[in-house]
Amino acid sequence: MDALLTSAVAGLTAGGTYALLGVCAVFTYRLVSVVNFTGAAIGTAGTFALIALTEAGYPTWPSVLAGILVGAFVGVAIGYVMTRWFAESSASTKAAVTVALLVGLIAVGLRLTGGQHPHVMPELFPGSAFRMAGVEVTFASVLTIGLAVLFTVLSDLFLNRTGVGLHLRALSDRPMAAELLGVKVQLLSLLVWGLTGAFTTFALMIIAPQRSPNFMTLSLLVVPALAAALVGLFRSFWLTLAGGILLGVIEGMASTVDSISQYRSAIPFLVVLAVLLWSQREARWDDAR
Amino acid sequence: MTRASLRASLALVVALAVGGAAVVGLLPSYWVFLATSVLITGVALQSLGLVAGRTGMIALCQMSFAGVGAWTVGYLNLAEAPGGLTVWILLGGLAAVPFGVAIGLPALRLRGINLAIVTLSFATAFDTILATITYPGQTTFLQVPRPALFDSDGGYFVFVLIVYAVIAVALEFLARSRLGASWLAVRHSERAAAAHGVSIAASKLSAFAISAFIAGISGGLLAGYLGTLVAENFSMMASLSLYAVAVMTGAHFAEGAIIGGLLVVMFPEILRRFDLPQDIGNVLFAIGATQALSTGETMSETFRRLARKLRPARRTKVADAPVSDLPAPVAHAVPVALEIDNLSVRYGSVVALDHVSLKVPAGTVAGLIGPNGAGKSTFIDAVTGFLHAYDGSVKLAGAALEARPAHLRARAGVRRTWQTNRIAPELTVGGYLNLAAKGLTQAEIEAVLDWLDCPDPEVPVTTVDAGTRRLLDVAGVVAARPAVVLLDEPAAGQSHEESVRLGQRIAQIPKLFGSAVLLVEHDMDLVRSVCSEITVLDFGKVIASGPPAKVLSEPAVKKAYLGIEEESVAA
Amino acid sequence: MGVSNMTWKSSLLAASLAALGLGAMAGGASAAGPTCSGGAIKVGAVSTITGPADFSEVPKATQAAFDAVNAAGGINGCKIDYTIADDKADPAVAAQAARDLIDNKEAVALVGSASLLDCAVNGATYARKDIRSIQGLGVDAACFSSPNIAPVNVGPFTLTTAVGYYATNVLKAKKLCAFFIIIGGTQEAYKKGIEDWEKISGQKIHLLDLTLPFQGDLTPYVIKARDAGCDTVLTNQVEPQVVQLIKTVDAQKITGINWLFLAPGYTEQVAKALADSPQPIYAGTEWEPYTETDSAANAEWVADMKKANRPLTAFSQGGYLAAQMFLKVVGGIDGEVTRDSVNAALLKMQPISNPLAGSPYVFGEAKTHSPMRATKVMKLDKGKWTVETADWVHLPDTN
Repeated sequence: MDALLTSAVAGLTAGGTYALLGVCAVFTYRLVSVVNFTGAAIGTAGTFALIALTEAGYPTWPSVLAGILVGAFVGVAIGYVMTRWFAESSASTKAAVTVALLVGLIAVGLRLTGGQHPHVMPELFPGSAFRMAGVEVTFASVLTIGLAVLFTVLSDLFLNRTGVGLHLRALSDRPMAAELLGVKVQLLSLLVWGLTGAFTTFALMIIAPQRSPNFMTLSLLVVPALAAALVGLFRSFWLTLAGGILLGVIEGMASTVDSISQYRSAIPFLVVLAVLLWSQREARWDDAR
Repeated sequence: MTRASLRASLALVVALAVGGAAVVGLLPSYWVFLATSVLITGVALQSLGLVAGRTGMIALCQMSFAGVGAWTVGYLNLAEAPGGLTVWILLGGLAAVPFGVAIGLPALRLRGINLAIVTLSFATAFDTILATITYPGQTTFLQVPRPALFDSDGGYFVFVLIVYAVIAVALEFLARSRLGASWLAVRHSERAAAAHGVSIAASKLSAFAISAFIAGISGGLLAGYLGTLVAENFSMMASLSLYAVAVMTGAHFAEGAIIGGLLVVMFPEILRRFDLPQDIGNVLFAIGATQALSTGETMSETFRRLARKLRPARRTKVADAPVSDLPAPVAHAVPVALEIDNLSVRYGSVVALDHVSLKVPAGTVAGLIGPNGAGKSTFIDAVTGFLHAYDGSVKLAGAALEARPAHLRARAGVRRTWQTNRIAPELTVGGYLNLAAKGLTQAEIEAVLDWLDCPDPEVPVTTVDAGTRRLLDVAGVVAARPAVVLLDEPAAGQSHEESVRLGQRIAQIPKLFGSAVLLVEHDMDLVRSVCSEITVLDFGKVIASGPPAKVLSEPAVKKAYLGIEEESVAA
Repeated sequence: MGVSNMTWKSSLLAASLAALGLGAMAGGASAAGPTCSGGAIKVGAVSTITGPADFSEVPKATQAAFDAVNAAGGINGCKIDYTIADDKADPAVAAQAARDLIDNKEAVALVGSASLLDCAVNGATYARKDIRSIQGLGVDAACFSSPNIAPVNVGPFTLTTAVGYYATNVLKAKKLCAFFIIIGGTQEAYKKGIEDWEKISGQKIHLLDLTLPFQGDLTPYVIKARDAGCDTVLTNQVEPQVVQLIKTVDAQKITGINWLFLAPGYTEQVAKALADSPQPIYAGTEWEPYTETDSAANAEWVADMKKANRPLTAFSQGGYLAAQMFLKVVGGIDGEVTRDSVNAALLKMQPISNPLAGSPYVFGEAKTHSPMRATKVMKLDKGKWTVETADWVHLPDTN
């Protein structure tokens, strides 16, 4: 039991990452109606900007700022593609576009950064916060989970309790109607894209030192992120947070059980499967069908 | 349908045979080797075209299914199973089917995006697990043997060509069948498909299962091609870029799969000769896919559209088909076709329908009218099963419909048309009719189309105008000869002469086809001339019901439409 | 009368002696070295250059070595025509590239290949087309178990045994643990590497974990190693993951474990990234440690690479060594240099020693070829690699 607890705590860092990226995915979906497969790739672009600047010798925190701006910019660029040509498309089409863009983004990213050599990634929050069940829980882990919780609380409050949030939720499904009402939909959407891009970048900057930063592997963090978002049914931020952390913890526990350790990568898949089968029961004829 | 399928298949087989002969006869063995790779990728693209292009689902794990097929072939080879490669690739395809079904199952009744997430997580999981399983026989340098006849480069090319052709022909036939039409319908509008009695779940699952089967075959072909394989062949990134290519080229068309295969194989070859980095290919696929999605037109569709312009214009009207060719009427023996009793629907605190009762006697045309927002569409949705919950009862020929989902109600005998047209543009007119009413002969289809002034069965729906599509919608539900037909504003957008003619047709439906009709309309002349009894709704309540002449002169009805009392205007 | 008879006989004798002498001279002229009727000796390599790995420095070093020989007039006047093919780590592309080199370019041999999957994908093709490969960097398991391929490097599987042998012999490890990232086709080879170590050392492996992830958080694994009581941990990770592992170990404040890596961990970037780590870090080498640019063993390689303006990395050692072996073997061929004559020469060759490697290189007639079985072990000391074993660590035979 103790070993299981240790391994569970060991999986917390990963869990925090998944939770944070998952909450960003739900935020994007609820505001601009896009299931964003490029979410993590946008953050990776900004993170690698930081790495490039650090390797060129610039001081850390200005580079962090520059990296966040790069991430926001890439987010806005993708948001521009989505709002300019796909504003009225179905949800499936929009998702397909982000899949295609992910393929291109990873190709460009790998070409520019190369995967061979370790990159110098400054550790923004080094050191460990406390020890639990024999595992040093680092500041980075705590910060990741803390940020995830903060973003969850803020998003929940903003979208569900403020007037602006209510309008934005109403408008996300009917951009044309909103345009006719005089709302600058494209501007608002680009703002959302830029904001999530910046946030994802910062999140990845925190966790990248603990995971060898490689453009492709960081971009593919979108898979467990979307699994976490699915646990929240792309609606509830709190469930997404819980789902992401749970995913990381289960992965950590699976790593120690020898018989299933080699199948640990199947965990996000199994979670997704279980959630979908569970929510099948309530299928309705909504607008999407 | 079969005639067209045969024609298309013949053209396909001839084209492939000619192309194949040219490749084997003219090109050196290195290019034959590459051409084989093009065809194998083409098979994988065909599988993706089926599920992504035709059924509109986002499938991001095709190469994982191919991996299942390839490893199965490897194990069969290691175990020296009988049958040789030909049998093994079929078994490999079958091995992939359970994976396809297991993955498709949870995403059936929900948004298509969920399938994207499921397949991507599966591809990720499969990647790492496959990497730990060395290809069977690799450590002992055991190669997967090709069938004895096809051992050389040219020989194996011919083998793969035959497999490609067989799959392409099978898909051609499937595409024109009712199953194939149901896939296109499901992609365009799930509601409309369910309203024709198509089980959405069965339709999607069949597409996914068949697609996994074909993908498994492509993996087996790859095993025979390279002799031994590594997990990198079937990586998740390969699945993702394959999806981008399929979207870009329109892989559900036979030529789309070949074009896609050429792009995937030849592009890196060309880059290699120009000494350019070979991963530029993926960027171009990404841009191409985005472009195709924004215009809604894939490369194959562009070529076909341009080719259609070159062909002479075909006749768009059917030669006179005698009324006797119409499908025979189905006698529904009960006196009351549809009985609605105290139907109530609430959306939160808003009452959409309040204790609405209505009877549609068999063999009659009944009318349902009312101002905008009265609840007519909600009424039809409730009766046909597209509402989650309602109070009251709906009885079809005496049997209650309460527990049944929409597509089962349709099969039981309640059919409807739609206010906004939901016919999949990729279908042909005849294909749509076949989907709506199965089991009709060609002559019967042509007769129904002619009876309603609809175009020739071969005409693609994209070229049909909106008003005629409405008529096509009516033709479809009528040809199915259900117990009751619910027509939702069929005369909208028609000229006066056209709606008079339509009215005459609607009046004939009970006699010619045996179905009762409930007509929802705004055109008062049409309603007055066609219906034997009408019901008026206002704010969800029935305010009048009876013969048209009497009902339309009631003051309550006039007030509902005008908004104020008639007397106050005169005063 | 007697004199003319004698003269006739002696003339005959003289003539036959002269003929013999001419024959001997003619034979001597034909034994003058390799010839090339086509004007060049065609050689090629299939390497992973773009994609998840970049081993281009290996064939490029081979290219540099060949260019130097060509500049000096070639081998016996024969220039070497060298083609480098990129397989993108894609098996279909690797197969195409091999076919291109064999059928179109008509290469007589493959020299300096360095790929993630060339051996696994093309091993059977090489056997079928009877062409041999002097692999510059053998990566996948098939490179070391194929009749037509003999790498000039020790390889990760033999190196696992060698580094483990060093751990028990010198570091006096009692609880050796091994964590491996298993990618396509390597599981059996790593397991065998550990089994061979068990045979040589007489110990049993304390913990063998074959599920180390290529990407992801390593904390659970590091904790697992600590809690299992390992005193030495061996992994087969490549550069970025080596850095990630040690950083995770430091974050978890683990002490008392020696961390052993294979040749991919021995790079200057790793040294720089882990300069501040208090962990004892070791790495095995494929050849003479490349960071020791002053060592006599490296002298020739360093000089030639500097002349060709190529970077001094471990990869280039491999390519250079492969080129030297090929040049030596071809130099000993008498007559036309064809695929057959090269194969014959490789089969009959005597082991060739080169200061860059600890074992002599030989092809020979064996079913499998893994000739290189010596390594040197480096330790990371304040951001620089230092040689721990001045002499080669020769791995004893297990059979």
